[in-house]
Amino acid sequence: MKQVLRLFNNSYRIFFNDRVAVMLTFIVPMVLMYLFGAIFGSADSGPDRMPIAVLNQSNSPVAQQVVATLDTMKAFRVIKTYKDKQGRQVAFDSVTIKRFAQTGGAAAAVVLPPDAFTDTSLGLKMKFYYDPKNEIEFQVVQGLIKQVAYNQIPAIINQSMQRQSEKYLGTKSGQAFNRGIASLVSKYFHVDTSLIMNPSKAMANWMNTSTSSVQDSSKKGGTNFFENMVKIESQQVVGEQLKNPWATRSVGGWAMTFLLFTITASSASLFDEKKSGVMLRLLVSPVSRVHILWSKYFFNMSLGIIQLFFMFFVGWVMFDVDVFSNVVNLLLIILAASVACTSFGMLLAAFAQTRQQAQGLGTLLILSMSAVGGAWFPTSFMPPTIQSISKLTFVYWSMDGFLEVLWRGSGIAAIAPHLLILFGMGSVISAVSVWGFKRGKVFE
Amino acid sequence: MISIRHISKQFPSVTALDDVSLEIGEKEFFGLLGPNGAGKTTLMNLLVGYLSPEKGSITIGDQEVTRENLDIRNTIGFVPQSLALYDELSARANLEMFGKLFNLPHKLLSERINERLNAVGLYERRNDNVKTFSGGMKRRLNIIASLLHDPGVLLCDEPTVGVDPQSRNAIFDFLESLNAQGKTIIYTTHYMEEAERLCSRIAIIDHGKIIASGTSDELIDMLPYEETIIVAKNDSTMEHKAVLREFGTVIENDDHLLLKPGTGFALSKFFTRVEQEGMKYRWFELHRPTLEELFLHLTGRRLRD
Repeated sequence: MKQVLRLFNNSYRIFFNDRVAVMLTFIVPMVLMYLFGAIFGSADSGPDRMPIAVLNQSNSPVAQQVVATLDTMKAFRVIKTYKDKQGRQVAFDSVTIKRFAQTGGAAAAVVLPPDAFTDTSLGLKMKFYYDPKNEIEFQVVQGLIKQVAYNQIPAIINQSMQRQSEKYLGTKSGQAFNRGIASLVSKYFHVDTSLIMNPSKAMANWMNTSTSSVQDSSKKGGTNFFENMVKIESQQVVGEQLKNPWATRSVGGWAMTFLLFTITASSASLFDEKKSGVMLRLLVSPVSRVHILWSKYFFNMSLGIIQLFFMFFVGWVMFDVDVFSNVVNLLLIILAASVACTSFGMLLAAFAQTRQQAQGLGTLLILSMSAVGGAWFPTSFMPPTIQSISKLTFVYWSMDGFLEVLWRGSGIAAIAPHLLILFGMGSVISAVSVWGFKRGKVFE
Repeated sequence: MISIRHISKQFPSVTALDDVSLEIGEKEFFGLLGPNGAGKTTLMNLLVGYLSPEKGSITIGDQEVTRENLDIRNTIGFVPQSLALYDELSARANLEMFGKLFNLPHKLLSERINERLNAVGLYERRNDNVKTFSGGMKRRLNIIASLLHDPGVLLCDEPTVGVDPQSRNAIFDFLESLNAQGKTIIYTTHYMEEAERLCSRIAIIDHGKIIASGTSDELIDMLPYEETIIVAKNDSTMEHKAVLREFGTVIENDDHLLLKPGTGFALSKFFTRVEQEGMKYRWFELHRPTLEELFLHLTGRRLRD
């Protein structure tokens, strides 16, 4: 038994001496748990300030209440205007709001038309334009919009019933009838008469308490009833022609994650060359450090381009992802993403002390960046701080660039910001890497 | 040919070289002998321009060795201590890769590769992956990978580490033939036998300083005695220890006595006396002093301590 204990202790000693193993065992899972927890685990999990375009063309209090509700929801950032070519803020109309959603200005657009809820309406009408570039995001947005709409049902019923009673009994008798009904309800259900007679006040009061009951009732088979009361005309404005939306959306994220692993391993091979003495042999031939770095850089970049394109090609072969209709722009984004990824790999090699350190740190950063950058789940689900950090990662801009090209079929103008940012990030990271190489251990 | 002037190199925790100066002539086989950590590899790395010194300068021919001077590397071949080869590639692929860095025309490179592979007996294995080679074969390949551009100067940093005696002899023969062809060779080792066998001139280095240099004989002459006499340990020699002490210092070891001759020692007188005392000649063995003894004498430590 003593020998077992000794060997057991030895195993722990070896384990704790291996920083990479410790990092992969404790730190990587901790970071990922935090991210997943922030996205799915907290009580108020779900989207946070997701941009949603809203146009209310109706004068109805119900429609106004819908907009007001959307305005106050943490999940959404309501946009009611857009910037025109002259840079002026202009209110949406029925055409521009649809185009706004099509061009990716918002995750979805809600239009409450002039007849959303008229004097003769029996239910609420609204239009919902959506861009399901991210399946999870789309499902949640759709659910929340429906929830907001269904929350208007008590007000709709109340107002409809008042109108019907006034129509069939006349204004005076109708109002007398309503008061009578209200006093009866008040008497037997202990509800304030003023709430029964004042629909908006009642609705506001009800909305604070009824969200879950609406959801529950819909689950119990009330869906048809609600759907008759709230008519949502949904229209997918982007990607409806795609053969395999799921693959089109996800191929970029997976390609980026695996590319980062490939590039990191390739960059860390500098340490293998150093350890084996090959680096020394190279440096005593007519080769300078700069030659070695550039050769590594170009190798990694070309490997990145080949791997990314290969993964999209596999997406085309296996899942019908339309790679070739916008292939030039796709190649541009692939090039920019490869430049950024290569710089990242070089940065790791420049600052790590050993191959193990480069790989361990690389794994931590790759998984974190992929998660934060939106390679696995929508960034809109993350806390606001992480959403801000997300935009600092090249995974985010690469992913968004791939979606622009493959999902939206965008041209060079639309992806120009992505290209600029990715090349810019690549340049900055490369400059830092060069600085790091001058002080790092690789050439020591 | 090679001039090392007042070189000093400092690492964060240690002074690797301290004011080292050496002159090495053309076609010389020069040895750098010293224990591990003495500064041999640092000096080699400075000679090839991989490291830069804090002080001093190195010139080969009329060119100064610097990290930026890539031209000079066409005149230097460097055999690193480690096996600087790509294990997953064949011997030929390795040589092609390293040879191309010297801008050799394809045909010439191909001829050189075949020639060098033949010279070290690896031609038949040229297409095999290096990972399938024995340690000795890898060492031989490691050497010829540094010779493809036909350099005038070959720097060998302990090129026989971990090699069996047979392969070691093959490497020695090859290096001697290169020297005979006119190449200047600088060879570092902590095996005094290697230095004695190969090198026409040797510098002994310790703690970053050159503590002695010269030919093997010149170095041995630095010892205060020329030869020692190993005396078999038996009843007769133990009885006659006092007689032996008349001729010098007697050191008693486990299996023998060591007589370090004193001043005015004469071999003829010694053996006459031995004969008179009834001791047999076969109990005595003349031992030429070694560089190991010189190192011990100069530093108080053994080369491999």
